[in-house]
Amino acid sequence: MAVEKEILISAKNLKKEFRMGDTSQMIFENLSLDIYKGDFTVIMGASGAGKSTLMYSLSGMDRPTEGSIIFSDKEITKYNDDKLAIFRRESCGFVFQQIYLLEKMSLMDNVLTAGALGKNNKKEVIQRAKELFELVNIPAVTQKKFSTQVSGGEAQRAGIVRAIINNPEVVFADEPTGALNSNNSEAVLNVFTKIHNEGQSIIMVTHDKKTALRGNRILYIKDGQIFGDCSLENYKEANKEREQKLDEFLAEMGW
Amino acid sequence: MIQSQLFYNLKKDKGSYISFGIVILITAIMLNLALVLVFQVDRAYDNKFEALDTATINVCIPQIQDTDTLKDDIKALESVSEVECREAVFLEAVVKDFRGTDFSMNTVFYNKDESRDMNKLDIKEESAESTKESIYLPLYVASFGEFGLDDEIIYEIGDKKHTFLVSGVLEEMQYGNYGKGLMGAYLPKSVYEEFASEYEEHMVTEYSIIANDNTEINALNNEISSLLEEKSITMLTSCDKASTKDTRTMVCNLLILVLLAFALVILLVSVFLCKFRISNSIEEDMVNMGVLKALGYTGNMIIGSVVLPYLMVTLVASLFGVIASYGILPSLSELLTLQAGFSFRLLFDIKGFICVETILVFIVTVFTYTAAKRIRKLQPINAIRGNSEGKAIKKNYFPLEETHGNTKLLLVLKQMFSNGKQNALLFGVSFVLTILIAFASTLFYNVIVEPNNFISTLSEEMPEIVIYPKEQHEATIVSDLQSNSDIKTVLKYTMGTVNIDDVPVTVFACEDFSKVSNDLCYLGENPDEKNEIALGSSFEGKYKLGEQIEIQNGDISCSYEITGFVQSVNYQGNVCELSMEGYAALNSESIVPSLYVYLQDGTDVESLIADIEEQHGDMISNQVNYQKMTETTQEMYAGITSIIVIVIFVLTILIALFVLYIVIKTLLVQRKQELGIYKAIGYSNWQLMVQVMGSFLPSSALAVLLSSGLGLVYVPQMNQFIFQTIGAMKNNMEVSFTFLMIFALIQIVVNFIISISLTKPIKKISAYALIKED
Ligand SMILES: Nc1ncnc2c1ncn2[C@@H]1O[C@H](COP(=O)(O)OP(=O)(O)OP(=O)(O)O)[C@@H](O)[C@H]1O
Ligand SMILES: [Mg+2]
Repeated sequence: MAVEKEILISAKNLKKEFRMGDTSQMIFENLSLDIYKGDFTVIMGASGAGKSTLMYSLSGMDRPTEGSIIFSDKEITKYNDDKLAIFRRESCGFVFQQIYLLEKMSLMDNVLTAGALGKNNKKEVIQRAKELFELVNIPAVTQKKFSTQVSGGEAQRAGIVRAIINNPEVVFADEPTGALNSNNSEAVLNVFTKIHNEGQSIIMVTHDKKTALRGNRILYIKDGQIFGDCSLENYKEANKEREQKLDEFLAEMGW
Repeated sequence: MIQSQLFYNLKKDKGSYISFGIVILITAIMLNLALVLVFQVDRAYDNKFEALDTATINVCIPQIQDTDTLKDDIKALESVSEVECREAVFLEAVVKDFRGTDFSMNTVFYNKDESRDMNKLDIKEESAESTKESIYLPLYVASFGEFGLDDEIIYEIGDKKHTFLVSGVLEEMQYGNYGKGLMGAYLPKSVYEEFASEYEEHMVTEYSIIANDNTEINALNNEISSLLEEKSITMLTSCDKASTKDTRTMVCNLLILVLLAFALVILLVSVFLCKFRISNSIEEDMVNMGVLKALGYTGNMIIGSVVLPYLMVTLVASLFGVIASYGILPSLSELLTLQAGFSFRLLFDIKGFICVETILVFIVTVFTYTAAKRIRKLQPINAIRGNSEGKAIKKNYFPLEETHGNTKLLLVLKQMFSNGKQNALLFGVSFVLTILIAFASTLFYNVIVEPNNFISTLSEEMPEIVIYPKEQHEATIVSDLQSNSDIKTVLKYTMGTVNIDDVPVTVFACEDFSKVSNDLCYLGENPDEKNEIALGSSFEGKYKLGEQIEIQNGDISCSYEITGFVQSVNYQGNVCELSMEGYAALNSESIVPSLYVYLQDGTDVESLIADIEEQHGDMISNQVNYQKMTETTQEMYAGITSIIVIVIFVLTILIALFVLYIVIKTLLVQRKQELGIYKAIGYSNWQLMVQVMGSFLPSSALAVLLSSGLGLVYVPQMNQFIFQTIGAMKNNMEVSFTFLMIFALIQIVVNFIISISLTKPIKKISAYALIKED
């Protein structure tokens, strides 16, 4: 079944090396990987394994030392900074662990600031923003609040709205629930599931098993390689069977 | 302990301290130059006066009126300590080829070899062989007129030309500069005797008088003039130390004024800058300071670590500024030597140095301390959490959802309004800098584009040609000239000297003041009738419009009604205007006025002079190309003005550069994370640069435009003030709105270019670093 899926991102022979003065650290080498359209891909691994590094390479936020990344037929590894900015603007949405909303404006304005870069006119953008806020359960009163005046979960849900306001081909999320308590995490994850079920491609890095359960493809990074690749059904609800399958996979990986 | 914090502060913000240091350096240079001039120039004059035993006052009277007892009578006056007298020849002479033109001035010819106990001559240069026609020139005539040793110099007196060879250049302290219209010339004994024999009717006796130690010059002046009046003796010239110093130091005083004004403005800018920088660094370092407080550092220790770097920079920068100013002083002294008529060297001045250091350190301390004071109130726990009043968000300016308009534009507006403090700073600084630019550009306009505005303010009537007709041909030549199509107007005009309250006063007499090109009258009206007079500004306090006044010329005296007041920069206000008939009444012989000729636009003066010479050569005794003379004067001023304008421009741009540097740097540091987020969302470098620039450029551009516009109001006031200090009660300076706007636009464009290059580092902020931080 996976064979029939359309490839969204194709990474070939990626190498990433950090140089610090005389010493250097190899994070991964000769890493090849395909990401499929419509997948909720979860990247797991030990701390420091290179999960974030890989994800940000795939999104054009960082450059691999060697290798190529082809993103829907575009070889983004050849792009210059400005072209990459335009690429990100058109194709990617980002959700951060620290959320990173702009402090000086309301949640709504945060979303519209991103929306201004899209192809739609302002009216359409506002309309879509309202729909998305509704989707993530943020009422109009909260939309007008500053990021410093809302709960972490609300802020992160607004962060997701901002990430998808321009209909990106893929949403990248680096531990989006890392800074949230379990109630808030649940609400945020529900949003991800919701948009995934509506066809949104998602790539998410996480440490958390509960979070990982939401994905339909789990990649495990170890020793600079994709050490394991596990497929699941699309998430509908928490069930023992799914949990067990993931547990087995992670045990195999040495988690 | 606190030192490490201090050095951390210094290092962290190197660029800002360097900018601040350079601004302080410039301030120190200007301040020190001004102070050295204030402290030393006056003393240099006094020393020179003393070295040459210069008389307090020198008075010339016609030799025929001199009596054997006069010297003793003067000596007997209460305020007089010593008197010396000598003979000389006093007459009006035209110096040919004075800086390429003919210069007419009242000249006193002396016997250089006569021994002097007062007004000694300090011979600076002397040629080896003395010829028959040698002359010794005062330093001004030599340097201003561009006469070198062994050059020829021609004095034209009446229609006779006297050619001399410059055999020496000397410094004297008796006369002012050309502003006073009176100058000395020194001939060797034999040359003098021959010369004097030709001009017996112009022989004068000069009394040089030294006052008692504590006598006021004015009191002495009064005593002498009443003595002479009592004896019915005409005072031909009177020249005292004080006014000599005044005329000679005019340029210097203007320079001091300008330097001080500049130093003040720049200092203002720099203290605002460091205040701004400090408030911002408190925000940035809030956490750090909280930790230090938590560790037990006192508020004052932390304040010290913020304030001390600025004080250190101020100390070092002002020290270098003072040193640098001594690099400029020699060329400044040279410029002033030309004005002073004697060379003086400006020396290292410890007083100036101490003043500069104290003033700058004091002001910077006060400003930095008040800015840093609020550190003391910082609660460690709040500081660590980063909760300062400054950071609290008060308002969501321009909510994007409800406000109509382009979102990207609204984002710029949001930025602008949430950075009120920074915009206020930029607005203020731009406004003040623009005042300097507006002043400079107006000066530029009036000296270089419309030079007549400036020159006419500083001079009297300015025709294109002055013709001295022979008496019997006057009527013929006037009617001939009037029929010439190249000539617009011919005006009879003459100058002379009369006495008002026993003070020699220069007369401008004209047949019709409504036709003059340069109306000197600043209050009331020009004289029209025979019995009317307009007085110079020096009489304004003593007399009122409508009063009667008695005027003497030798034995003749007449009474006139005062119709107005006129200005004169060159004679220190000791002038008056009379109608031609009014002046004739004061003269026993008929006067032969010179003819002031005004040409149609575009007429070639040289060729017209040649034509007149050809047709009427036998009817005239002399012609002067006055336009050339005006041009020469203008060139001189144009040179100085261009330098001033360029200096002001460079300074303004430098200061703008440093201010923008500090503001933009602060902004980029403060908004680093925010910019990273924008980048992550997909905003491009250019979009962000526009957004950042857009948040502060409009306020500075607005300030520039507003200040330029207001220039129409304040520049005339500045001009008024400056020209009044040199004696021009009204000035003809025009403020051109177009010109102000052109310079404003240049300034805005320059700011824009500076900003673009300074916001470039936005490119280096990466969205990726955002994720990697913390
Ligand atoms: N800019 C950098 N310079 C040097 N080393 C870096 C840099 N960024 C990451 N590294 C190193 O690369 C390795 C992988 O980092 P990365 O952030 O990708 O790990 P991760 O798997 O996301 O870990 P975590 O689960 O803790 O977030 C780490 O050892 C880290 O120290
Ligand atoms: Mg990570």
